[in-house]
Amino acid sequence: MDSFIDYIENTLKDVPDEDNSLYRYKRKLFDTMTERANEVTQSGLRDEKVLSDLIISEHPDLKKDYENFYLADRAKRKAENFRKFLLVGSVCYILLLTVLYLGVSFITHNWAQTWLIMLGGITLLVDYLFTVGAKAIARLKVIFHPIARVMLAFNIMLTATFIFLCCVVIFHLPMSWIIYLTAVIFIFAADAAFLALTKRKLAIINYLLYIPGAMSMIYVILGLLDVIPWDPGWLLMILAVIIDILIVVGIIVENSKYIYKQEVEDVWDEQ
Amino acid sequence: MERKLNAELWDKMHYLFRDFNDRMVHVELHYDYEINIEALKTVLICFFEKAPVLHSSFTDNHISPYWSVRNYRIEDVLTVERPENLEEAVNAFLTQYIPPESDLQMKVAVFFHEGKSVLCIVENHMCMDGGDFKYFLKALCKNYNDYVERGISPIDLKHGTRSYESVYSDFTPTEKRMAKNLYKNVCAKDDHKFPLTPDSIRDKSFIARRKIDAERFLKIKQSGKKHGATINDMLVAAYFYSLYELAGYDKSESVTISCAIDLRRHIHDASEQGMTNHTAFMQCSIPERGRDIFETLKYVVHSSNRFKKDKFMGLYGLPLLNVGYKMLPHAASEEIIKIGYSNPLLAMSNIGILEADKLSLEGHEPFDGFMTGAVKYKPYVLLSATSLKNVLTLSMCVRGNETDRETVELFFDLMEKNIDTLIADAD
Repeated sequence: MDSFIDYIENTLKDVPDEDNSLYRYKRKLFDTMTERANEVTQSGLRDEKVLSDLIISEHPDLKKDYENFYLADRAKRKAENFRKFLLVGSVCYILLLTVLYLGVSFITHNWAQTWLIMLGGITLLVDYLFTVGAKAIARLKVIFHPIARVMLAFNIMLTATFIFLCCVVIFHLPMSWIIYLTAVIFIFAADAAFLALTKRKLAIINYLLYIPGAMSMIYVILGLLDVIPWDPGWLLMILAVIIDILIVVGIIVENSKYIYKQEVEDVWDEQ
Repeated sequence: MERKLNAELWDKMHYLFRDFNDRMVHVELHYDYEINIEALKTVLICFFEKAPVLHSSFTDNHISPYWSVRNYRIEDVLTVERPENLEEAVNAFLTQYIPPESDLQMKVAVFFHEGKSVLCIVENHMCMDGGDFKYFLKALCKNYNDYVERGISPIDLKHGTRSYESVYSDFTPTEKRMAKNLYKNVCAKDDHKFPLTPDSIRDKSFIARRKIDAERFLKIKQSGKKHGATINDMLVAAYFYSLYELAGYDKSESVTISCAIDLRRHIHDASEQGMTNHTAFMQCSIPERGRDIFETLKYVVHSSNRFKKDKFMGLYGLPLLNVGYKMLPHAASEEIIKIGYSNPLLAMSNIGILEADKLSLEGHEPFDGFMTGAVKYKPYVLLSATSLKNVLTLSMCVRGNETDRETVELFFDLMEKNIDTLIADAD
């Protein structure tokens, strides 16, 4: 319809075209308006002027719409480029890593340990990819967030495994498996941070559970390393409960400021 | 591509009410001329496009329900007839049920009879309540007039968010946080019933009406002023007193009637928001019948004043409902909410004034009409009240039999008698 074209052209005549996106926006908008006009006509609207006014009224601020379109379009292109970069970059990275691994191995002839270069490099890549993935998922609906949280936990365990293997293969440290207990603490911390960053309601319940969980791990680690005696080291558990109680009290005190006391009294007693 | 709309909290709540009523809101307006059907069609199409929920189908998804916007033909929305028996045709149209799964959530009819027109509209309460339905009617008439008389396109209908959270929009951050902490469950806990017959599959929906003439309606206002009562208080007092007489409750028993309140009182300017539901109930209780109706009125005034002084009137329980619907999948949250919710057995909705001047079409004001709420399933009842040109219409929509109809008519007789007693000292 000509009225749509006039409306689009007149409204956007002063808008500068960036990256040829203005034409694409105009074309997309015109197609949408035409499609809507066909829909409404099929419903039974016969008056052309009303039809035109109705459809135009659905797009009252084209400049702002175009701005949003441009930003979304740019973000889309950026995301597409980034995906390509990840794909090509990952392949190049693995190739370089292989070269590095083989180079170091042939030079040092220490094949028993150099495989850790390959493992470390792949761990780093997977950690990076999973972090990028988790970040993308965090922007989706809350229902998808558990996937991101599992990815973060996986990252931590993968890193812990690499550190554990380094401790065993290179440093021959006894009780290297303690790394895994430490990883559990990091998982709690990472999950708590995720909940805080995504502003999840009721995240406090998780915090209250994670504090004793993490504290029990600290207790076991410190006990195993003989840093603290098992008894009265268990007092750390009591400390965790006290911290929980303090948090709950703090929240109650804070919330009590926002409890509304109804200003009216029951009048039946006055009868 | 299929367009989907979010099912808002009140949409879900009214869907949950399917066990208690048919969720239809009805209006009937009489005009002394023949409405221009082509113009009305144009206005209706524009309004349906502006408010897509009116041509959407509700999907009861177990995880998260939603509306799917559907294509429609205006002929499916608007019925135009010249019936032999006007009353029968109007009643048949008004008592129809629109399933939420259907493609249309509003049906309109124009009945021509002896050079006059009757405009009837039935809509799903899930889409909007009486408050916004009144707005819809006024906008319909204004746009129709502008279109017919001045050729202005009929596209002036408010649209925007349908979220229940709009009621908090004009609060300060502290007030908002306080209001969002009102988790108190405000359910009606009263077993007193309207004396209807037991349920039967032979029951049919009917709308019983009773008109209170302009003279008596003005006296209700005057008498109310004398007693420090609003029109609503006067009607509720008559409702209570009539119920004691009709159902034979013991005089010493406390009875509760749930009165609908419009939550838009908390919104300074609702013109930027979409048409939706913003209605809650306040429990108006009296401790006993009282020696006479004036004592009943005193109790009613006391009870309603308790609510009027409350800054957050009607906002109790909304955060609880929100948590209920947000935390669990829809199917589970419905079951949980059903446990905590008890539907009021006795309710009243004072829809208020239908402004004749704003409902005029081409200079013709409606000479008669009323608006009423959903058809309640026994044992639940809802008394609706609207006024047009100072004539008050009391109505009750019931799914019942002839005995129930007689009971409702008897109730209206008692209401009239008690209103007459209340206004006896108006002069």
